[in-house]
Amino acid sequence: MTQGPDAPRGAAPAARPPRPSLLASPWPRLALVAAAFAAWYFVFPSALSLGITLMLLAGWATAWDLLGGWTGQASLGHAAFVGLGAYTVGVTAANFDLAPWWAALLAMAAAALLALLWGRLTFGLRGAYFVLSTIAIAEILRLVAINERRLTGGAVGLFIFDLQEPFGLDLFSRHVEFWFSLGYLLLVLVVVALVTRGRLGYQMRAVREDEASAQAAGINPVAVKSWAFVLSAALTALGGCLYGVFLSALQPQPLFELHLSVRIALVAIIGGRGTLFGPLVGAALITLAAELFRTTFAQANLLIYGLLIVLVVLFMPRGIMGELERRVVRRRYAKSARG
Amino acid sequence: MEGLAPFLQNLSGGLLIGGIYALIGVGLSLIFGVMRVINFAHGEFVMLGMYLAIVLFVQLGLDPYVSLLIAAPAGFLVGMVVQRLVIARLVDIPGDSTLLVTLGLGLVISNVLFLVFGAEPKSIYLPYATRTVMLAGIRLPVAQLIAGGVTLVLITGLWLLLTRTELGRAVRATAQNRLGAELVGIDTPRIHALVFGVGMALAMAAGVILAPLLFAIPTAGASYTLKAFVVTVLGGLGSVPGAIGGGLLLGVVEFMGASYLSSGYRDAYGLFAFLLVLLLRPEGLFGRTVKRV
Repeated sequence: MTQGPDAPRGAAPAARPPRPSLLASPWPRLALVAAAFAAWYFVFPSALSLGITLMLLAGWATAWDLLGGWTGQASLGHAAFVGLGAYTVGVTAANFDLAPWWAALLAMAAAALLALLWGRLTFGLRGAYFVLSTIAIAEILRLVAINERRLTGGAVGLFIFDLQEPFGLDLFSRHVEFWFSLGYLLLVLVVVALVTRGRLGYQMRAVREDEASAQAAGINPVAVKSWAFVLSAALTALGGCLYGVFLSALQPQPLFELHLSVRIALVAIIGGRGTLFGPLVGAALITLAAELFRTTFAQANLLIYGLLIVLVVLFMPRGIMGELERRVVRRRYAKSARG
Repeated sequence: MEGLAPFLQNLSGGLLIGGIYALIGVGLSLIFGVMRVINFAHGEFVMLGMYLAIVLFVQLGLDPYVSLLIAAPAGFLVGMVVQRLVIARLVDIPGDSTLLVTLGLGLVISNVLFLVFGAEPKSIYLPYATRTVMLAGIRLPVAQLIAGGVTLVLITGLWLLLTRTELGRAVRATAQNRLGAELVGIDTPRIHALVFGVGMALAMAAGVILAPLLFAIPTAGASYTLKAFVVTVLGGLGSVPGAIGGGLLLGVVEFMGASYLSSGYRDAYGLFAFLLVLLLRPEGLFGRTVKRV
């Protein structure tokens, strides 16, 4: 913090307002997350698949939050990027024998480009146009995946059965996938932590709170929203690539479906929009709850999502981490006010 | 003149199905116009109407067109209750909380339908509704003709309600300026509840007249919600007459695209039209201006 020219020199500021936890260093907690998942690998070796789906969902939701939480533009079409990532790996491996890491780069570039064009189309308009268009574009991609059979295998799907091996690692092994997914989750968390603590992060929050005021302060809302969207899309597509390899049988139905988009968004909302670890907390809670209720509710487990989202929006609109964060900040202010 | 008869055939089919889209879209547009709420559970209410018609038909042998008289008031009541209990708490909160709540409601409805009725498609078989009528060389299925007639009656009724009654005037006033409406003594919370009820009644009525035409699947609600969005954006978000035009247009675009281009992309043509409208004329084909950043 730089002191202004008028600040009295020498005299230490009496009661400096406490730093909101938003600015508290995220790195220790990030290390804790890494350690917890590393421990999962050794403690629950039989639940690696569950861990992978949890980490991927958490990664997508954290990436979603960059746009949906920090910038305030909820998207209900992020499945488009998951599907784009998965299908890019599948199609390029089957047709051109492209290495999966190049395919991942290609998928991220494609997702970024799609997000850029998409943002151009809708971010200039106020109101609900963006969220409506997200559903439409994911749906169009799903129909393309169903209908372009020569490329995607249509409704039957596409199988990934041969991939080049990085450093001799078998990508189809759950053990390898677990560590890759952990790496992905940490990468997303680090990117979001860095972005939201930087200049762009402040601009994103300014746009979220009040677009007109942000504009008056010299921020270009369309550009800020587009940047958030591009980053969010590329990160989601990277996770989609991992998911494609994890599934190794790609079908348009689960990949591009509205339900996946909704799940990504809901996990972030329940955990707390605009918080670094909220989406991860939400993903952990939802994945474990779904695992517990899997036998009771079978395919209707979205019922739980539906109920949860209604309850959270009505009674806990900030989400779990958002409420916690607010309480911590309040307590600190109360403490500093008492002296 | 070889191509004319199939063309007219497609046109009439598109217009008839478009009428139902219009019926679904009008409710969504009315709710948005008056309350500024985007109802993501709209399609699920259509499915609720469809299943209600099926239950009444199977259990009581009630003709679906008779059960309209039960479904529409039921939809009105359910809509009022949902609005009072859930949405009224959120209307004044900025942001997308109403959108998320209705999304959650939609998930609850579709999954309850799934738990009760199972995943297999269900339908109503009406011997008289499967017949067709020939009119000037065009084959018209009876069920679609009835659907078109019911749609016409309902939309005309709504139109008269909105333009010819004191209540309709209060609704339009609330849509134009809520604060102003309150200042002249209009009970806007009551208007909101009423409008949401009317929207749900229209959605359930649309579901009932769709029941003899299409198979009911619990999870199909989302696709109707999407169609309703396309209809309202085509016609201009919040504009009731626009939604009628948008619905008819969507039906025709889907029919023409499916028969002249590729039937696999049938559902995509409407979405392409939606994106084109966003790009070229975001206020909708028949709407007024929208705010740009």
